[in-house]
Amino acid sequence: QDKPVLRLSSVNSATDQRAVALETVFGPAIKDFATFQPTWGGTLFKQGTELEAISRGNLEMSIASAQELSNFFPEFSVFSAGYLHRDAAHQVAVFNDPLMQPFKDKAEAELGVKLLTVMYLGRRQVNLNSDKEIKTPADMAGFKLRMPPSDAWQFLGKSLGANPVPVPFAELYTALQTGAVDGQDNPLPTVMDAKFYEVTKQIVLTSHLVDLNYLTLSKKVWDGLSPENQAKLQKAADDAAEFGRQNQLKKEDELVEGLKAKGLKIYEPDLGAFRSTVQKAYLDSDFSKAWPADIVDKINALAK
Amino acid sequence: MKQLIAGLRRGTEAVAAAMLAALFFVFLVQIAARYLFNVPMGWTVEVCLTLWLWLVFWGGGLCLRASDHIRFDLLYLSVNRPTQRIFGAIAALIILIAFAASFLPTVDYVWFYKIKRSNTLGIRLHYVFGIYLLFMIAIMVRYGNVLLNFLRRKEDIQGQIIGYARHDEGAIK
Amino acid sequence: MSQAFGLALLVLGGLAAIGAPIALSMVTAAVFYLFLAGQDMSLASEQFIQAVYDSTLLLAVPLFIAAANIMNVGAISDRLLEFCKAMVGRFKGGMAQVDILVSLIFSGMSGSAVADAAGVGQVTIKMMLKTGHYTPGFAGAVVAASATIGPIIPPSIPMVLYALVSNTSIGYLFLGGVVPGLMMTLALMAMTSVIAHRRGIPAEEAVPLRQIPGVTLRAMPALMLPVILLGGIYGGATTPTEAAAVAALYALVVSALWYRSLSLKSLYGVFVDSARSSASVGLVIGSALIFNYVVAAERIPETLSQFMVSLDLSRGGFLAFTMVLFLFLGFFLDATTIILVVIPLFLPTAMALGIDPVHFGVVSVVNCMIGLITPPYGILLFVVNGTTGIPIKAIVRESVPFLIALLLSLVAIALFPELVLWLPRLFGYEG
Ligand code: NA
Ligand code: NA
Repeated sequence: QDKPVLRLSSVNSATDQRAVALETVFGPAIKDFATFQPTWGGTLFKQGTELEAISRGNLEMSIASAQELSNFFPEFSVFSAGYLHRDAAHQVAVFNDPLMQPFKDKAEAELGVKLLTVMYLGRRQVNLNSDKEIKTPADMAGFKLRMPPSDAWQFLGKSLGANPVPVPFAELYTALQTGAVDGQDNPLPTVMDAKFYEVTKQIVLTSHLVDLNYLTLSKKVWDGLSPENQAKLQKAADDAAEFGRQNQLKKEDELVEGLKAKGLKIYEPDLGAFRSTVQKAYLDSDFSKAWPADIVDKINALAK
Repeated sequence: MKQLIAGLRRGTEAVAAAMLAALFFVFLVQIAARYLFNVPMGWTVEVCLTLWLWLVFWGGGLCLRASDHIRFDLLYLSVNRPTQRIFGAIAALIILIAFAASFLPTVDYVWFYKIKRSNTLGIRLHYVFGIYLLFMIAIMVRYGNVLLNFLRRKEDIQGQIIGYARHDEGAIK
Repeated sequence: MSQAFGLALLVLGGLAAIGAPIALSMVTAAVFYLFLAGQDMSLASEQFIQAVYDSTLLLAVPLFIAAANIMNVGAISDRLLEFCKAMVGRFKGGMAQVDILVSLIFSGMSGSAVADAAGVGQVTIKMMLKTGHYTPGFAGAVVAASATIGPIIPPSIPMVLYALVSNTSIGYLFLGGVVPGLMMTLALMAMTSVIAHRRGIPAEEAVPLRQIPGVTLRAMPALMLPVILLGGIYGGATTPTEAAAVAALYALVVSALWYRSLSLKSLYGVFVDSARSSASVGLVIGSALIFNYVVAAERIPETLSQFMVSLDLSRGGFLAFTMVLFLFLGFFLDATTIILVVIPLFLPTAMALGIDPVHFGVVSVVNCMIGLITPPYGILLFVVNGTTGIPIKAIVRESVPFLIALLLSLVAIALFPELVLWLPRLFGYEG
């Protein structure tokens, strides 16, 4: 029998830590029983269309965001809520907790997509081209903050106290440079890689979203593997995620100094004020209506 | 019949023009809301993209005359009219086969999207992408007709591509 | 590369050659590929739909087309024409020179070559044809060739894409494009001058000096358009994409209120025509992206990069080879595909050989922009054809000299990295 080919399509570049982790850890670990074949840069399937491609049998793997899954199943928006996950370890605890099972089951039953493991993307920070010091969400009032173009992201921007603007990523650098927007939010590695430090003045370490992705696999492919190979593949996925997680955490730590050296002001605001404002905004919003009862409490209880 | 077709054409053109005007207007609203009033709106991008998608496939299926399509005319324009008609018939046949063969899979694809909602407005996406089915049907009708006309040896003025000459009266379209 | 892929290319080439619409040829060839490769045939539709639905940056195209059409109907073009005649009409081939200059000005506000050709290009083509001294093919060729300058002079969408894949400064890349952009402008103007002299394209009748202030005043609202757009972008009011809507609004207001030359009926006609042009341009751009999927599914980029490694080239040899390769790929592939998919495969080798990433980036982007006017897949040819109806055959024939001018510029900036790096270094680039 031929080895199954696991085609993965994702929009990130080949140098992204997720790509490096999958190519150096995941691929080699499964090579005895499957061929890992990644495509980066979103050339096989457009960003945000990979899940349906898997579901329709045209792709085997993807790196999916909670926002993307919430377009199918609104309850996934809980994992894209601000100040929900405390840190990378908290994400893993939540993903492996029984509370996650109904979410995994639904994605498998209705999309045929198995959520293999959780990948750490980094803590999103507010990055502004203004000098004004930010202490509380009230200080963000009037700032045009670029957020990715979807309802969930725009809401996060609003809950931070800013005026969220959807600008395509390719136009963001110019928009920051000319002042069409006053700032953007991303993990520090993105600020570095996309050169936003060239056109912004400060980073407010809000850590408002500990961002995650799910590594996904076609349920059909999974079911076709022997239990032994399933276990090997699961371990390979977890190991790759862990490898990427440690790399990204290290990079984030180094970049605080790295970006200071580029002349940016970097400081922590009143995190308590941000956390309570944002959490309240989510609980009062329509998003939370789709969330299972008590889930926020359960997730909070898993934080160490 | 001719009148009916002319009326329909005016109707479809009016719809396409309205979609472009709406796109223009929403873009202006987006700029004004952000720059003049500092109340940026998240929904404008999605509305613009939806209008653009619909404009391309509505216009592409129902409003384009044969000569409006962009084509590589190097060889085509250097052969005589009877040869052009044979070229046209062969092209029509191959296009028809491909569109017919992929039509049902495409219906299945579009229908799949009833479970996914759009990013901002939460519209079920099979409504948004359904326009492509209309486009496919329009193309199949168009090229089925070209083929029929060829088989009946009827001169198809619609299908004739004469290039720049038609603009000589004045305004470039 | 599979048999299915080879056959699909044959279907594509055959259909395109016998004059089938490009967009439909692309879809058809893709469906054949999917069928032969045993894949889901809805993928052709899927890729087409998602390409159009995802094209946030292309939203400027329909609006620039509308703006140009309003300017044409609303007498703005006529007043601009009058003014340009007064300024450079006394030189041979003056109107073509005007187009190249106008392209240079517009390149400062738009980041996309397609938007340049669809917008201002339409206006200048009409101006050239009105004089009666230019063939449609020549007018189309000048416009297509000069639109390639757009993404070399900042702002530039292709440069941003390169920066993202190469870990290079966008700011320095933008600066690196300035001198090459000006060089391309000069090369095109020189070539135009040569052709004008050889063909004896006459100068326009010289406008008496005392009339010039009046002509200028009448054209003033039209001349203000670039000022307003640039002010809007660099003042932070609009993104480069949104500037297209401002251009259309401004053209509308000036035509209706200042020149009073726009009736409701003619405005409706403008929208119908613009919608039709937008649809045909949108179909071509969207359908071409279906082949991104096919190329990726066939793993062509990986095959290419393995081949590269096996060649074991020197620095100069590598640069020459990649330039020829990108030009060759430019015949068939979209610039975005080359930048996002192919270039990353060569970057590690380029870095290892000590080639400066800003230099490599600017040279590669210039290279990709030349691909926009090379047949069979040259998006600028399609746009000029789609907005004006000038046959591609005529444009291609007339664009050969301009292609040569652009290639000479490319060779110059590839050979002399200082041309690219001088300005960035002046602003602190350490490379
Ligand atoms: Na530009
Ligand atoms: Na080309």
